[in-house]
Amino acid sequence: MPRTVLAAFRFQAALAWRTPDTLSVFVTAPLFTVVFLALSQFAGRTDLATHAVLAPCLMSLWAVALFLAGDLIGNERSWGTLEGLVATPVSFPLLVTARITTVTVLGLLTFAESWLVAAGLFGIVLDVAHPLVFGAGMLLSALAMAGTATSLSAVFVLTPSARTVQNTLSYPIYLLSGVMVPISFLPDWVQPLSRLVFLSWSGDLLRTSLDPAPTGNVLPELGAVALLGVAGYLLGAALTRRFVRRARELGNLSHT
Amino acid sequence: MTELLAEPRPLAVVRHASLNALADLRATYTPTSWTVGWLGRMLAQVAFFTVVGHLIGSAEHTRYLVIGNSLMTCVIEVMMVVASTTWERRAGTLPLLVAAPAELGLVFVGRSLQWTISGSGTSLVSLLVLAPLFGVHWTVGQFLTVVPLVLLTAFSTYAFGLVLAAAVLGTTGLRNITSNAAYLVMMAVCGVQVPVSYWPGAVQLAAECLPLTHGLRAVRAVADAEPLGTVLSRALPAAVAGACWLALALAVFRLTAARARRTGSVVYS
Repeated sequence: MPRTVLAAFRFQAALAWRTPDTLSVFVTAPLFTVVFLALSQFAGRTDLATHAVLAPCLMSLWAVALFLAGDLIGNERSWGTLEGLVATPVSFPLLVTARITTVTVLGLLTFAESWLVAAGLFGIVLDVAHPLVFGAGMLLSALAMAGTATSLSAVFVLTPSARTVQNTLSYPIYLLSGVMVPISFLPDWVQPLSRLVFLSWSGDLLRTSLDPAPTGNVLPELGAVALLGVAGYLLGAALTRRFVRRARELGNLSHT
Repeated sequence: MTELLAEPRPLAVVRHASLNALADLRATYTPTSWTVGWLGRMLAQVAFFTVVGHLIGSAEHTRYLVIGNSLMTCVIEVMMVVASTTWERRAGTLPLLVAAPAELGLVFVGRSLQWTISGSGTSLVSLLVLAPLFGVHWTVGQFLTVVPLVLLTAFSTYAFGLVLAAAVLGTTGLRNITSNAAYLVMMAVCGVQVPVSYWPGAVQLAAECLPLTHGLRAVRAVADAEPLGTVLSRALPAAVAGACWLALALAVFRLTAARARRTGSVVYS
């Protein structure tokens, strides 16, 4: 298994390097940071700098994973390599998740970009007050994103019509999960829905990790991110296995 | 023979290309997918940025944000001209367009007009439906004045997008990054989220060259119930900027076509 995961990482990293659209978050994240910081600075709310720096990173995680989830299996099919991948004696869902994890881990680097924009253009140097919580939160968020994207990838391939809504899953999710504005500002009836999206827990957790005040017990937040990520992976793996089994039975792997 | 090779009338070229654009729009969306999918996504984007006003605790800034981000939606959509222009290259039709006697730039002026229609519709729905939820209310007269201003902003920004489209026609892999970066820069500096005066002088100067800056000032003037003369004086620079960008776009397309003919660098896909 480690060799499979490592091979998937290396392949996806090489592919991402040659796919400008995958790397576009590295262009958009600093610009989003400028927008959010300008907004908070203009309003005299320097205390919102953590929101402004973290939001582009969380948005980039979602965007990069959603982009790959929509294209991964479809691209393999169009390249004529899907049959070979399915025929190899490795877990296909694991391969999909490992490849998506590669881009989500790369997506974490957008935080460094945002931090540099805050420091370089706005003179705001954010301290990571609780590095352990921050590190755990970032890593778990990237993994949870990969798990969630695995299920989205399976949904997109099982129901091709769902691809038409792929682009619509960005801002509604950003709004619902409170990546910039905490969900406490949303109507009461929306907040339980927000808690079903792991990003809502990630946002709270990461903002807490940058706040100099004591963090308190963050295990519930860490647990929620992990649980929602695992749930996404298990659902995605089951759906992907179902897709592969059905395609094998019908002999239409290249056409489904 | 000479007559066959004569250059077609410019408006006829734009008209035929725009029919192509309309066909593309019908193929891209059904009324349901446009309303539920695209419009829903864009309204969520407007709401996403507008609720930042609640976070910073300013009702005035919330109203500022909902107007700015509503108009921004048409800008985001018209910037898709950068991508749809490169589709001709992917479809293998670019060499034929370069070889045809019609001016290449005029074809592309009409080719992506669907985004101006769809984008203007999105902005108007947002201003009409979403803005009142955040404290911006229109009289019938005010809203009827806003309609041509949204169209002006969409068409003049479309001209700016055409310049970028012409610039990246040879490097299609950069199409999405270019359009995304361009709309985010406009979102930052053109007075969508914060006033233009917030930025350093050089940035303000650059913002004055972009039609969105002036379109927004005109729409905000309507919202503030300013006299019609004031609204027109703020809208006029948007039209001038749009005309300048259109002229530049045609010039860049001419250069692109000339270089393609000279070097044989236009590929079929």
